[in-house]
Amino acid sequence: MDASQVTQVTEMMYALRNPAGIPTYPIIFIGLGVLTFALHILFVQLMLGTSVITIFGAFKNDAKWRRLAAAMLEIAKVSVSVAIVIGVAPLLFVQVVYDPHWYTSNVLSAVWVIAFIVILIFAYWAMYAYYFMNSKEKDKTKEPKGKVWMLTSLALMLVVGFIMHSLTSQILHPELWKEWYVQNGVIDYSGTQLHAYNLWRFAFFISMAIPVTGGMLVTYRRFKMVREDADHEYLNWAAKIGKKWIKLGSVISALLYVAWMMTIPETAGDFATSFWGIIGGVMVLFYAIWAQVRLRGDAMFCSYMALPMALVIGLVVAISREMLRYGILDGFFGYDFMDYKVVMDWYSTGLFFLTFAIVGGTVLAYFLTIAWQAGQTVGVYTPSPMVNRMGTIAIWVVAIWTLQFFVVGFYVWAQ
Amino acid sequence: MDLISLYPTWYEPMLGSGWVVALIATFHVLASHTSVGAAMLFAYLSHKAYREDRDDLLDFIKKYGLFLMVFTYVAGSITGPGIWYSTTVASPNGIGALIHSFVWKWATEWVFFVIEVVGVYMIVYLVGKVDKRTHMKISIIFGVASFATLLIIVGILSFMMLPGKEVWFEEGGYLNGFYGTNTFIQTGMRIAFMFTMTAVVGGIVVAGIKDPAFKKEMARKLGWLGIISTLVGAALFQLYLTAVPEQALLVMENRLPDYFGPSIMIVLAGTLGYFIVTMLQPKIIVESFAGAMAVIILVAGLWPEETARESMRKPYVAGQYVYSNQVIGRDVPGMDIKSQLPTIEKVGILKAHPFTPEHLQTVNAGNKIQAGEYIAMVYCSNCHSPSETGIRPLHRYFPDGVTEERMQKYVKGVLTTGNIAYMPKMPMLDSEVEALSAYLVMNNNGGQKAITAAIKQEVENRDRALVEKNAMDKVAVLELSQEVK
Repeated sequence: MDASQVTQVTEMMYALRNPAGIPTYPIIFIGLGVLTFALHILFVQLMLGTSVITIFGAFKNDAKWRRLAAAMLEIAKVSVSVAIVIGVAPLLFVQVVYDPHWYTSNVLSAVWVIAFIVILIFAYWAMYAYYFMNSKEKDKTKEPKGKVWMLTSLALMLVVGFIMHSLTSQILHPELWKEWYVQNGVIDYSGTQLHAYNLWRFAFFISMAIPVTGGMLVTYRRFKMVREDADHEYLNWAAKIGKKWIKLGSVISALLYVAWMMTIPETAGDFATSFWGIIGGVMVLFYAIWAQVRLRGDAMFCSYMALPMALVIGLVVAISREMLRYGILDGFFGYDFMDYKVVMDWYSTGLFFLTFAIVGGTVLAYFLTIAWQAGQTVGVYTPSPMVNRMGTIAIWVVAIWTLQFFVVGFYVWAQ
Repeated sequence: MDLISLYPTWYEPMLGSGWVVALIATFHVLASHTSVGAAMLFAYLSHKAYREDRDDLLDFIKKYGLFLMVFTYVAGSITGPGIWYSTTVASPNGIGALIHSFVWKWATEWVFFVIEVVGVYMIVYLVGKVDKRTHMKISIIFGVASFATLLIIVGILSFMMLPGKEVWFEEGGYLNGFYGTNTFIQTGMRIAFMFTMTAVVGGIVVAGIKDPAFKKEMARKLGWLGIISTLVGAALFQLYLTAVPEQALLVMENRLPDYFGPSIMIVLAGTLGYFIVTMLQPKIIVESFAGAMAVIILVAGLWPEETARESMRKPYVAGQYVYSNQVIGRDVPGMDIKSQLPTIEKVGILKAHPFTPEHLQTVNAGNKIQAGEYIAMVYCSNCHSPSETGIRPLHRYFPDGVTEERMQKYVKGVLTTGNIAYMPKMPMLDSEVEALSAYLVMNNNGGQKAITAAIKQEVENRDRALVEKNAMDKVAVLELSQEVK
């Protein structure tokens, strides 16, 4: 590409920005986008890994695997929900500062964007279909029914993952957008094609399901071992598999990361050998080393650290991914998200952060405490007075939030 | 630089992109309103179960919750971002306008979503595993958090029709855009509607209750909830009509089909009748009947309501400043937004659009139909499908055998001037008027087949001309090099 072509592409990207601007400094949206993406992809990987265990256990005629498969199905179901709800946040933030890129990429593959919704619903329902076929069976070591539903679910989940991968890959090629729009000299309004992908990059993110699920298995043993009815032999067996998966999976993922870095677009320049290019792969490999050192024996404390460690590693990879995007768009094309027009709005900015910290913090602290304690209790769990007080405070917090909505609203309306 | 913020166009010939958005939105409203209403119902029932020490109510919550989890939470949580996806591809600047003004509001709603998702699992799976008091507390938090999601989104939906306060155009500001008369009435209307939905969908769960006395109790509870909310909702709809711009009422009177009014009345009467009958004869509630009625009542009620809302805000799609065809049609000094119409008037839509291919930037005899199709896609296809089917097909608006001359008069006299109240003003250069008119006439008289053939011919001619030019250039270069020798 010559300089004038690059200028044209850059002008186009700037022209596509929304004239309404954004209500806070762009770096905040990028920061939140990266953080929530890391959380989202962690649950995606958990969902994929636990689904694989569910399927493997269903096909393997082994009592422990069958038990583990049934337990992991519960985690897979919740992980899909959490992955979807957390995924809303990066989806929101990418539209704020990367609207020219996200919207163009989407429109050019519109049919796939719509298909994403339908396929994901069916993938989720297929998982529930499998669950309902087997949920009433008390003996979890029996061969489950309807295995094809679980296989279908996993396959469809991978398809939606690939669609999302392709849409985000298309963002990185603004120089090709017009070419994709005009096919053989005629404009293609159909949106039926996915135009860009990098199988190494896709495989890397999918492969991270192995170490992340390994971390889940280690945590599962630690969580369940304190119950009075705990089967330690089974739990230790599960944790052993988990440790193996962390180590082996991290090595596989690190190799795929290298392959991804070797195949990034030319417009990324020397990103692969830059600090952020290298640190992503190093951190993935570091997870294996950490597991080797810190998860020996019972590892009472570190077993609970396995998933937060996976999140930290995912966060570094998410930052690298963002730096790659920034490197291409700003480094090569001169499109800088930092110079987006800011129409500052302190009220809505403050309301979000307060809601996030106070409402989210209070309520989730209460909810997770209850879920945690109930999960470790045999029979009916009755909370302590302190936990009960947490519940009362949480009710007050959401009630006051609702009240302020109306008070502020009526005040503004009456002005 | 004369480029404006326009994206490529997605054209779906069967349904039209507008219907795709409407289908997903209707499905989402069905799922999300039911889940919010049910969350509040659960809070009430769980409180009652705690006070009266009843297990049957908790069991009802568990069954209804599980049903919701599989159908409305799965579908609702996916079709929620699904609306973003569909509007992104059908109307990127429409959703962009909302996102860029209300990103923090959506982010705030997201906090409540997370609470909802964790909460619904706890409500369903912790029945019998935690004491009733704890279950009640979880249910109350879950109910209020769900309600908060509705409050937040209504402000944004309301902005789609018009910003909360008129002063927003001059002064901007999130609060001025979010809160207004329309916002509050719409909030009340949706609260009523969500309880109606909860009562209707709840019938499916009531159908599964074995104990006749308990079945009767729940049928009556849901019946009263449904009757009161339906009547309140209908009254609030009338009030809502007083809080929309006059333009919207004008559009409603002129554009909505004749069957709209009677169909709303039939749905209303049918809904009330259904509740009365099920209260009097709970035994007739079986799963298939309740399920079928839920689909019939809710879809029949929702579809006209969503269609009306979509039609009434025309020619705008968001905030009374973004046209339905994605062009910004007025100044908003409060947000430092300028109308894009002067730019288009100056350079034409083809040059103003960042995605216009080079060979279409100037209309000539060799690209007239392609350019006309491009203009139709940009300016018209969001509301009028150029195909046989889909949303308000273009060919229905012109008589058979219409001539290019007549079409040009219409395009220039009506479209470029913005002389139809519910259609955007669409500036065009004279050459663009000719191209669009030629395309519309061909689309009207020969249909898509004729258009495809004409475009193919234009492309072949261009390719041939290009080959010939390249050949001539080569000859010229050869001659030049020989002369140099």
